[in-house]
Amino acid sequence: MRLLVIEDEDRLSGILKSKLGEIGFTVDIAGSAADASAALELINYDAAILDLGLPDGDGLAVLTAARQAGKGLPILILTARDAIEDRVAGLNAGADDYLTKPFAISELIARVKALLRRPGGVLGMTLEAGNVRLDTIGRELTIAGIPARLSRRELAILEQMMRRFGRIVPKAVLEEKLYGIDEEPDSNPIPVHVHHLRRQLEATGASLMIHTIRGVGYILAETKA
Amino acid sequence: MSGRIKSLQLRLTVELAALFFVASCLAVAGLIYSASLTAGSLADRELGLRAEDLARYVSLDENQKPRLDLPPPLKQAYSAAAQQSVFAIRDKDGHLVEASTPEIGAMIARWPQADTEPSYFHLSKFGPLERDYSGVSIGLDSAAGPLSVLVAEASGSDQLVHSILREFVFDIAWYVPPFVALALLLAAFSVRRSLMPLRTASAQAAAIGPGSIALRLPEAGVPTEALPLVIAVNHALDRLEQGFVIQRRFTANAAHELRTPLTIITARLDTLEGNDQLSELREEVARMNRLVEQLLCVARLDSVALDVSSPVDLHELAEEVVGSMAHLALSACRTIALTGVDHPVLVTGSAAAIADALRNLIENALAHTAPGTEVIVEVGAEGAISVQDSGPGIPAEDRPHIFERFWRGKGVRGRGAGLGLAIVMEIVRAHGASITVSDRVTRGARFDLRFRTA
Repeated sequence: MRLLVIEDEDRLSGILKSKLGEIGFTVDIAGSAADASAALELINYDAAILDLGLPDGDGLAVLTAARQAGKGLPILILTARDAIEDRVAGLNAGADDYLTKPFAISELIARVKALLRRPGGVLGMTLEAGNVRLDTIGRELTIAGIPARLSRRELAILEQMMRRFGRIVPKAVLEEKLYGIDEEPDSNPIPVHVHHLRRQLEATGASLMIHTIRGVGYILAETKA
Repeated sequence: MSGRIKSLQLRLTVELAALFFVASCLAVAGLIYSASLTAGSLADRELGLRAEDLARYVSLDENQKPRLDLPPPLKQAYSAAAQQSVFAIRDKDGHLVEASTPEIGAMIARWPQADTEPSYFHLSKFGPLERDYSGVSIGLDSAAGPLSVLVAEASGSDQLVHSILREFVFDIAWYVPPFVALALLLAAFSVRRSLMPLRTASAQAAAIGPGSIALRLPEAGVPTEALPLVIAVNHALDRLEQGFVIQRRFTANAAHELRTPLTIITARLDTLEGNDQLSELREEVARMNRLVEQLLCVARLDSVALDVSSPVDLHELAEEVVGSMAHLALSACRTIALTGVDHPVLVTGSAAAIADALRNLIENALAHTAPGTEVIVEVGAEGAISVQDSGPGIPAEDRPHIFERFWRGKGVRGRGAGLGLAIVMEIVRAHGASITVSDRVTRGARFDLRFRTA
């Protein structure tokens, strides 16, 4: 899999290249908007990481140009936290996700992988978190290598949480996803499903834990050793 | 006096009033003086006329000797006031023709013949009543040839003139105090009016602060005398603003420059396999990252006026911020919750800034609440939002200081630089919102923010 990292800070792009290389990505580096546009035109990358602050122009322009040229590859943008407008503009211009600087490399890798696992993404449809693996097409779940069974709703909830592993999954998102499963009004509210799911994960020895953030949603995280 | 009085207005008023007072005193004194001069010359003319009258009634008798033959009313008048109005007449040879009293006759005998020019004289303690007399001696022609006529009037006989004068003076003097009072009022009013532009300039000057360094004093309407001062102050403000801008740009640039190496350090540390020391190092770098972010935030708040005019849904914003910070809370073994109303709460402000404020309050709460406890963010209708923790609370004596930059409580563990709450305060101020600190009913501190509803 080939990634393009568009970042003008050599040392940072160097680290990204080596770290992404370790997990099997081929990484090209573009240090300017011009290089980036040229590279995107020549090569069909599987994903791109784009720093919005480039020396020779706006990273946003690279993004817009790529989308206008019909490039559908997932693009993750890097922005400074104070530039909230950039972030919004980036998402509007067709970015798939964003990370604010400074970020943890592990977080970046998780996000890139999540992008590649999206429908149409190149990583296929297998989600992995801790010792839990979920094949989203075959609906096959293994926990610590052992196949496990969950209800359809619980599986749908787990899938959403694994897609946003370590990040908040708002109640509203879960409600929306569950509503699509069957048209019948659900007798059990989401907290009940989450409760069941939580018990199942515990019972099967999963290294994952669902935290409830009252009033907002849920976070799936690895249990602390 | 002017050395003691600090108010220009009072000083000008007092000095103007004093000037008015002195001027009116001088005017009155001048009036009295010239009035008395007039009175004096009136008396002199009266004496001269009387002498001419007397001379007119002198004629030669059958012996060719000069003789005074006054008409009866005049004669009666003179004899009625024998000691008041005295006269004596001599002929050209110095013989006494007539004298109203023997004393005056005796005295005039020693005097030389009078000249045609009137000569005025003064007699002290003269006559049986020892009265003072003023008189004139003049040489006049008559039917009996040249005569020396002396006419004198006892002093005090011009009392009528003087009483008229006195009345006149008192009438005038009566007008002086109200005149001075009116002048004082007019002076105060006009001084006040003239100083008005300075007052406006002062009000403007009072509005100049670190957040409004672009303001200048108005130069229009300022009196010419004060204009150089106002212009000089404005120039001084220009220079200060430049310095300020440089300072702010420095903070912003420094923080920006620090950010890249910090990102690299963070990334490098991530790639290392760790022991305890490494995780301590990571924590330290995370703290530094946070500090740089806060410095940038402070620099931004200082330099750019916040646009606080957009509608913001407090509930949605709180949901987003709490959601984005949940991971941080969990990794610190704390939890976080959003309570309160579950519908949009619209306020007017800047979403990014309010989110910053909330983030800082939550970080602060997470730093103080005990492990295993919950930080609660509560959104109320009417634009209220609160952040509550279960920590030790904030001592009353610390409360006035917690919003100062770089202030840190004594008992607080070595976290944070003391910028978070200062940032919150600046954002609250920019929004015209309010913030209060209190103790929770149960254990812990509680920060309440109230924004203007949209």
